[in-house]
Amino acid sequence: MGNIALEVNHVSIDYKNLMHMSMHQSLLQKGVKRADIIRAVDDVSFQVEQGKILGIVGRNGSGKTTLLRSIAGIFRPDEGYIDTKGNRVSLMAIGIGFNPNNTGRENILKSGMLLGCELDYVKEHMEEIIEFSELGDFIERPVRTYSSGMYSKLSFAVTAILDTDIMLVDEVLSVGDEHFRQKSYKKMEELMLSDRTVLIVSHATDTLKKFCNQVLWINDGKFMKLGDTEEVLAEYDEFMKL
Amino acid sequence: MKEKKVTLYKAVRILLVIAFVAGVAAIALYPFSNRNLTLHFVAEDTEYVVSRNNEEISAGNCREVKFDENADEVCISKLRIYGPSKSTLLKEVTFDELFRYIERVENGEAQWTSEGIVLTGVDNIQFYMNDDYVTMLQKQSKSFFQERFVMEGLYVCLIVLLWFAVTAVEERKKEENWNNHGPVFEIKKFCGDIKKYRQYMVYAARTDLKAEVANSYLNRLWWLLEPFFNMIVYVIVFGNVMGNSVENYSTFIFSALLMWNFFNKTVNYSVKLVRNNKDIITKVYIPKFIILLSNMILNMFKLWFSLIVLVVMMLIFRVQIGINLLWVFPAYAVMILLAFGVGMIFLHFGVYVDDLSYAVGILLNMLMFLSGIFYDTMTTLPEPLNAVMMCLNPVAVIIDTMRNALLYNTAANLPVLGVWFIVSVILCAVGVHIVYKNENSYVKIV
Repeated sequence: MGNIALEVNHVSIDYKNLMHMSMHQSLLQKGVKRADIIRAVDDVSFQVEQGKILGIVGRNGSGKTTLLRSIAGIFRPDEGYIDTKGNRVSLMAIGIGFNPNNTGRENILKSGMLLGCELDYVKEHMEEIIEFSELGDFIERPVRTYSSGMYSKLSFAVTAILDTDIMLVDEVLSVGDEHFRQKSYKKMEELMLSDRTVLIVSHATDTLKKFCNQVLWINDGKFMKLGDTEEVLAEYDEFMKL
Repeated sequence: MKEKKVTLYKAVRILLVIAFVAGVAAIALYPFSNRNLTLHFVAEDTEYVVSRNNEEISAGNCREVKFDENADEVCISKLRIYGPSKSTLLKEVTFDELFRYIERVENGEAQWTSEGIVLTGVDNIQFYMNDDYVTMLQKQSKSFFQERFVMEGLYVCLIVLLWFAVTAVEERKKEENWNNHGPVFEIKKFCGDIKKYRQYMVYAARTDLKAEVANSYLNRLWWLLEPFFNMIVYVIVFGNVMGNSVENYSTFIFSALLMWNFFNKTVNYSVKLVRNNKDIITKVYIPKFIILLSNMILNMFKLWFSLIVLVVMMLIFRVQIGINLLWVFPAYAVMILLAFGVGMIFLHFGVYVDDLSYAVGILLNMLMFLSGIFYDTMTTLPEPLNAVMMCLNPVAVIIDTMRNALLYNTAANLPVLGVWFIVSVILCAVGVHIVYKNENSYVKIV
């Protein structure tokens, strides 16, 4: 048993159906009706050891992304707690805080700092990121001139190179062209060997089989199974059959 | 045991509320004795100070004003009436009005010119004022509005601080406080967040600025041109068309406009902040006030640019500056705190209430015209309203303080400014508290 890098303890997350209200509405109607509350994640607990890669599977709308977001600290769970043991967590998402009018280089610095890295640290790794993203001269141009592939390549590169302790990947491994995809797979393999803890959400069972040490299966927000990759995926495939 | 403790805190809180209501009412209604007045007759380079205590004034025994000066010619431009302390300006009397108060002059001669009242004659020239003057002084002496306001303000702040203290004690006493909240924890968290994100704040402000001007031909020049042309429009409309007799009118407006723009932009931005920064907020955790601070830094950069224009204007129009210029800094400090506090509170409600931005736009527009940007609040507004504005409207207080320091080398009304400083700090604390408490649900709504 290695060190526990991440502990999720009886976590439940509600979505209140609080839509934007007009002033008139909010004055008339105080509070939210009980029926409007949707429980997206319901009493899920698990632990991840340091350096392990955990896959998360489940149908659409079963709360996978919500779970990842709350691990990333974007919102606090309504019940239970998430302990990241002081590790820095990054959610790999398309374009964190990218301002379309800034150049790629400026956006790398900005999103790097948003991930909690020091300015000097990001600057040190700048060349590495630019090289990995394969953007070449485009790095000095505003992001709004990028194609969508280039955009996602850049954001993948930022999170892949900058060293956060726990990395959360939300179905973005199929980014870019074939060449870049192979490169990102290679990077993932590298990460697997390194000491980073990774959580991957994906529907592609092949990807999960390739990378993960363990797989967590949640269905409708409820914890179904956590165990060896092969075992859980087999059961999941069985469940998903028509 | 546990329940007993809870009721104890509750009892203390109820006591505080009672003390609050009683104290506020007492200060509002207590018949304070009349105040003493200090009259400053402002000449070109000196001031003649005459003190009158409240008994003299109410007895009507305050008619004569003596100038012991050996100069041949003295030009009085205005009369300033201060309360008991030097920094509480109550009223400004222009020389036109002052001339009408004079009944007769002894040991010399007083003459009305367009510059002011010119006194000529031998030393010890003496004025005898008429009844209107006495009534005016009596009126100033009777009103205790400003002092009451300052006392009320300090009292409210005291109660709020006590309330915070009770909450802090309660938080400390609770053992199972794993989800950490309360004032002590919040202050620590706030400082920690600022330290952690300080590089991001500054860098984001810089890149946003760059992005703003990246594709415009005139580039950075816009930061100068925008306030400058606004100023020209206002000078034409309010100065020439409507007729406003303030000297140096362009500098007068421009200095206030810079300050107002900063406040206006910050508050306007904060209402739509969460929605405009959806990209960041849904993808990574960032304390929301960091985004607001970053925007304030951006506005500050622009302000620095416009200050160059202001300095040039002041040089062109030969504005006399002095040691009181330093009051500009406290004025700006209070304004920044106020903008941040108000911004944080609007930030929170802006997430939930869609049409708040319209309402805030209207409110800000109203505030702009009430805050004496285009006129001097103290002398232009009618008698009771100007004192009310100068106490209750923080923007008017701040702008007036700043302008007095910058253009007229006059000290600030420290008690009123001080009260607004404390109120602003409390607003910031409340705003940060609300946002910390609710920021986790913002993502679910946008």
